[in-house]
Parts: sequence; structure tokens; C-alpha cells
Amino acid sequence: MLKWYQETENQHDVFVASRIRLVRNLEHYPFPVKLSDESRKELAKKLAEGLKDIGSLCGQSFRNISLSSTEETEREALRERRALNGAGAEGAGTASLLLSEDETVGITLAGEDHLRLQCMSGQAELSKLWEEANRLDDYINERFDYAFHEKYGYLTAYPTNVGTGLRAAVTLHLPMLSAGKRFGKLVAEIGRFGVAVRGVYGDGNENYGGLYEISNQKTLGVTEEEVISLVKQMADRLAASERKMKSVTLKNHRTDMEDEIFKSYGVLRYAKKLTVKEAMTYLSQVRAGEMEGLLQFQNPVSIYRLMVEIQPANLRMNIPAEEQNDLKQARAAYIRSMLPELV
Amino acid sequence: MLCEKCKVREANIRYTEVVGGVKTEYNLCSHCAREMDFGHYSAVFDTDYPIGKLLADLFGLDVDGQESDEFDLNQVVCPTCHTAYSDFVKDSRFGCPDCYRVFDLLMSENIKKVQGNDTHTGKKPLHNQEEGQPRKEEDEETKLLKSIELLDSRLKEAVQEEEYEAAARYRDEIRELKERLREHA
Repeated sequence: MLKWYQETENQHDVFVASRIRLVRNLEHYPFPVKLSDESRKELAKKLAEGLKDIGSLCGQSFRNISLSSTEETEREALRERRALNGAGAEGAGTASLLLSEDETVGITLAGEDHLRLQCMSGQAELSKLWEEANRLDDYINERFDYAFHEKYGYLTAYPTNVGTGLRAAVTLHLPMLSAGKRFGKLVAEIGRFGVAVRGVYGDGNENYGGLYEISNQKTLGVTEEEVISLVKQMADRLAASERKMKSVTLKNHRTDMEDEIFKSYGVLRYAKKLTVKEAMTYLSQVRAGEMEGLLQFQNPVSIYRLMVEIQPANLRMNIPAEEQNDLKQARAAYIRSMLPELV
Repeated sequence: MLCEKCKVREANIRYTEVVGGVKTEYNLCSHCAREMDFGHYSAVFDTDYPIGKLLADLFGLDVDGQESDEFDLNQVVCPTCHTAYSDFVKDSRFGCPDCYRVFDLLMSENIKKVQGNDTHTGKKPLHNQEEGQPRKEEDEETKLLKSIELLDSRLKEAVQEEEYEAAARYRDEIRELKERLREHA
């Protein structure tokens, strides 16, 4: 079965992905940080045992990945694919991850919190994902009693998640908008509404590939529907600005834009060595070009998939051991093999 | 372990007394220890006594024998998971669900700063929903009846205080609500 980001449908828009995350804890249990490694493992086992029918509820099989006994590369690869959060990838503490075959549904057990439920997809469908997460939340709650406070709502290890425990996030591809001078100002303005804009891939302040995640900052005193509608509204606004900028550039500087896009395609097609930064920059151009119909591939491809799979840990997982010592070379080879010819 | 006297601060003094062959053990915090009568050992906690001064420093007492507010707050410990308020301040992380009840008064302002709000309005767990249902299901009629009841008691109070202007206002408001109640029915 293909993973959600490998699907070629729906990957031709500013919207790249949607994600709903819910944090829940059990009653009468200290948070994982206060548990010994032994009790943490036991808790994860108890939770996994209680949720063993989740596969039939979701209509697909689940893997139970024990993170403490998983190689660091695999944990890091899961983080690059967004199936795990940073704390989960760091490993030692987190006990396990229940992950659906297509990786749209993931539940981290005994991580920073007892349960971290996540639903993802490659479409703009936050409300649908919330319905799904809500259903799974009820399914879990039928089996385990949650720690809940009349005033503070769902109790979490960090006060930044308390209340709904909900993070609603949309990943957008904003190559034009983010290159503009006003982007920083726009991000700050959106921040005033309690919505954060973060670069998805990059190094420090530098962003590679123009992918940004838009998500709510507040979790208390707002309903789930309010959170989702706020994030949606802000994501729609950013997506509309990106589309507008693109159409204006296309109208006024079509040849310049085409030049950049075709050069990028050329480099990806023939380069022998590529760093993550180079690959992300050119893939971002190619994705924008495909979106505008400037590039047409012989076979459908998800450029976002390539962006994910050329990240260091994912690349390592996909190539034979003898190629591991030169990742730049392996990255270029991988892109050549995946990028289709033009029509 | 919590101090057996105040049950708020962490115990950091164990005092064993043997009187007439009967051994009694106390686990106390430095604050309560100072207030207890330990016979001539009390001098240890006397700040004029040099050894007392040394020990008091170790126990976290101010040399003046006064405790600052900050010291007091940081000494509050969650009885379930033993997370001290100072741990919470350091890591911005709670140790267990009970911490929210224990530290409620201390941190509610901080939570409000972080979240812009301090009261949950979203989804409730399944079992809480059942308990909370009468409140959630509270329809227009009950709401009106409750408001009328409240206004009625204010009206009576106003009459007793001879505040007739206010009383007249309450009377009119009650009349209006009763009108709405009739419409609703």
C-alpha cells in the first residue's frame, strides 16, 4: 500500500498536507516523564493491548513500532515523514508508535504524554481529519478513562497543550510568497491571531523548499471547531496570496519563471551530486512549474514525495548499504530514477 | 515525603525522640520544625546560635528566620508525583494530572498568559459528558427560570435595603423574562 505522501493525486496545489493532533492522558497515572523506563514500557504495552482492534476501525493494518529498540535512522525517518514529533524521534523515553499502513493514522504511546493521536492526509481537509480523530478519540476513551479537569479540560504534561489538546495544522507550498520581502511581516500579522507559521524543512532560519506549516498556538478556551476554522481561514488566506503572486509573475515575467523552472528540472535530471538544500530548492521550482502547467510529466509523480524521500534518514532507509557513504551522490541518483521525462 | 505537620512542604528534617523507652519519629519541614518544641535542641533553630545559622542555611531558611514568598511557593509539592512547584517553573512541565489541582492557584495566571484563557470550552470525555449532560442540555426554559429566580432574590434584597429604584428595575426585568418564558412555552 502506498503511503499518503506517495499518492500522486491531489499533489498539484498550494495545499500539501493537513494534520490533526490530539494529546490525551490517562487518569491515575503520572505523566510518562515521572515513570521509570520499565513502567513506561508496561503502560505502552497496556495501551497497545487495549487498542488492538484499531485496525478494523480504520480499515487497514497497524504496525506497533517499539521506539526504544528501533535504530536511530528509522526514528529520524519517521520524524522526517511527520509520523513522529521531535521528542518521539529522540527516542530513549518514548515507548512505542502505532502506525497505520498508509501512515495517515499514528498514535504515540507513553511519549511525552500517554497518548498522542495524529491523523494526516495530502489534501485540504482539516474538518474531515478532525471527525476521524474525534471518532478514534472516542474509541480510545471507551477503553481508557482520560485525565480531565472541569476548568482546564484535557490535562497534558505541557501547559501549552492543555484544554483541547488539539493542534490543527496545514502544510502549504509557498515558494513565491516566502521569497517576497513582505513574508516576515505577514507571518507576524498572522501570529497576532494565535496562528504560527513554521518552515517544515530547513536549517536554522533558512527554509528549504518553500514548505510551511500553519497551526494554532492556543489550545485552551477555544472549541475544536473554532481552532480548525481559524487555521483553515489563515491557510486559505496564505494560499490565495501565493496563487495571486504566481499568476501576476506568470503574466509579467513568464519567460523568467519558465527559465528558472526548466533549469531546475535540468539540474535534477542530470546532476551527479545533490545536497538537501539544492535538491529542495530545485524540487520546489519543479513543483510550482507543474502546478501552473508549465511542466508536464509523462507519468504522474508526487514531487512532495521526492521532497520527503531525499531527506537524509529516509534516503538512507531506501538505498543499499554500499551507497550510504556518499549521500549526495545517492540523492542525485534517486531523483534521476524517480523524476519522469517531460511530455 | 511531605511534612506531617503542614502537609504542604517537603519534609527535610527527621527528628527522633526517645521518652521513657518510647521512640517517636517526626518528619518535618524546616518551617514547622522551627515552631515545634524540641527541648534544648530548639536552640539549633535559634538564629543567634552559630550552628543554628549554619543549619538554617542548609535547610533553606533565611538567616533572619523570615521566609520570602518565592521560597514558600517553590516548596509546594504535588503529593502524587512529588513534582515541586519549582520543578514546574524550571521545565514548564507537569508530573501528573493531580499537579493541575495542587498548583492551580499558583499557575492559573501563567496559564492565562500562555493560552490567553484559562477555561476549557471544547470536547469532554465520554464519562464526563454523561455527568455534565444536565448542564449541557440546559435549555432556554431552565436558563430563564434560573435568571428569574436570581433577579427575584435581588429584588427582595433591594426592597429590604429600601433601594426602590433598583427594585423597580429588577421588577421590570423579571416581567420581561416572564414574558419571554410564556412565549417560549
